[in-house]
Amino acid sequence: MGMPIIEVKELYKTFETKDRTVEALKNINFSVEPGDIYGIIGMSGAGKSTLVRCLNFLEVPTKGAVIVEGNNLGELTPPALRELRSSIGMIFQSFNLLMQSNVLDNVCFPLTIHGMSKREARKKAVGLLKTVGLEDKANAFPAQLSGGQQQRVAIARALACDPKILLCDEATSALDPQTTHQILELLRQINQETGITIIIITHSMNVVREICHNVAIVEKGEIVEDGLVEDIFTHPKSRAAKRLIVEGKDPDYYDEVQADNLSPEIVDTLKEDRRIRIVYSTNSSYEPVIANMILNFSEPVNILYAATKDVAGVARGEMILGLSRNPETAERQIAYLEERGLAVEDITDMGWPIEGGRSY
Amino acid sequence: MFGLSPQEVQMIINGVGETLYMTVVATLFGYVFGLPWGIILTVTNKDGIHPNRGIYRTLDVITNIMRSIPFLILLILVIPITKMIVGKTYGSTATIVPLVISAAPFIARMVETSLNEVDHGVIEAAQSMGANNFQIITKILLGEGKISLIAGATITIGTILGYSAMAGTVGGGGLGDIAIRYGYYRYQANILWITVILLVVLVQIFQLIGSLISAKLDKRHI
Repeated sequence: MGMPIIEVKELYKTFETKDRTVEALKNINFSVEPGDIYGIIGMSGAGKSTLVRCLNFLEVPTKGAVIVEGNNLGELTPPALRELRSSIGMIFQSFNLLMQSNVLDNVCFPLTIHGMSKREARKKAVGLLKTVGLEDKANAFPAQLSGGQQQRVAIARALACDPKILLCDEATSALDPQTTHQILELLRQINQETGITIIIITHSMNVVREICHNVAIVEKGEIVEDGLVEDIFTHPKSRAAKRLIVEGKDPDYYDEVQADNLSPEIVDTLKEDRRIRIVYSTNSSYEPVIANMILNFSEPVNILYAATKDVAGVARGEMILGLSRNPETAERQIAYLEERGLAVEDITDMGWPIEGGRSY
Repeated sequence: MFGLSPQEVQMIINGVGETLYMTVVATLFGYVFGLPWGIILTVTNKDGIHPNRGIYRTLDVITNIMRSIPFLILLILVIPITKMIVGKTYGSTATIVPLVISAAPFIARMVETSLNEVDHGVIEAAQSMGANNFQIITKILLGEGKISLIAGATITIGTILGYSAMAGTVGGGGLGDIAIRYGYYRYQANILWITVILLVVLVQIFQLIGSLISAKLDKRHI
């Protein structure tokens, strides 16, 4: 591993309100390698938006250091900080385009404020619009574009100064799943072509799963777990990680049992089950574990959810099972699965998404 | 026409000219002071891009005090200043001085309100690109706020027109002056009504022009 492109050390951020002090971020430590796609995930209010703003000093941390390419942001003079910001692009949930300027001028904006001539800026902007697939919209105004198109313009604008880092603050949260997927694909493509480091702030495990290599899970202003997306998806340790993965704001989850024709009694019955989540690699040749388990224990198992998911580019099978009512049998069933090398998470105490409706 | 002598017609035409002269010049000078004043209020506000409580509170209080003095009283209060600047205290040029003094804080508030409406996210985006405060003011605040600024200017010009007519009571020139002298002191109802109608028409024209410019420039609804 080389030198990290971003290093955050013992970072704290507190906000003083009239009657109390809010600790938005507590002892945050992490580093990002060049070329990585790094996810920072948490429920709303966890402090992740504050954290991303500390990475380019839109928020100045109360304590601690943010080091970008060897520059300690806290030690830079204001002009030097502004100069450095041109190497850190940023996109936002609400796109934040100049509504009174056309697409081309929006992309030119960061170039001209750093002193490029209007002519050169336009030439470069046209190329960037090509990258994001909007070369035919150069003269349109943002209000004429769809959300996905506006975010593409914002991406082109963020890339204008050839940044080494791109910060994405809930960049797909205002978009529908299809458009989200397209935007993530575009980001992945840009990452592969230019080697740009991307930091993705999101509340959606789907987004992290689809595009990130590494992830940090933020809860109540602290990083409670971080590591490879694959590892955390397979074996979440912290409660926050489990909640994000299982209860999570994942529209696909429990679709099978969401059917309106489920009577409340059935839902109640399902809720009483001992529930586990297993994750397995789909390309591993493995015995029909579930079928064998049922035969072995002569007890039915309720398959509540099953899907194959793309986890950081690797296919992973995922199942949620309702086990035997008999606690002992359930224990032995879990042991049986674990013996066969499956990652098993007990999620009995997790919320049941049917209750409050789908919360995404 | 309307029982007016040719001299009276000529007088009314001159009155319209004077009213336009006072209104337009006072608005222009009003913005010379009011625009930077409003920008400073926005920028130094606690949610602004360069918060400064001392400057904000000071300007805020001055604005409030100046805004609470009724125009007619201000007109008399500032007579020494008017005399110093213009050399006399009656006529349309002299009226411009109190008009500007009265309009500037009003404009400052209009500008402040318009600029505060600019989406904070766009300002943040500009900051994330490394824009300095001057660039944010000129390109984001004024650029994105221009429609609201134009709407504010339209309201301002109507208000100043009304004030200029008020100045007629103390020999300020323009249509207000004519309305007082002929309509009120000499009971010439026809002149009174004609000046009122002309004032209404002028306000309508300014409003129409303002709305047209706004609609033409606004790119948010296409």
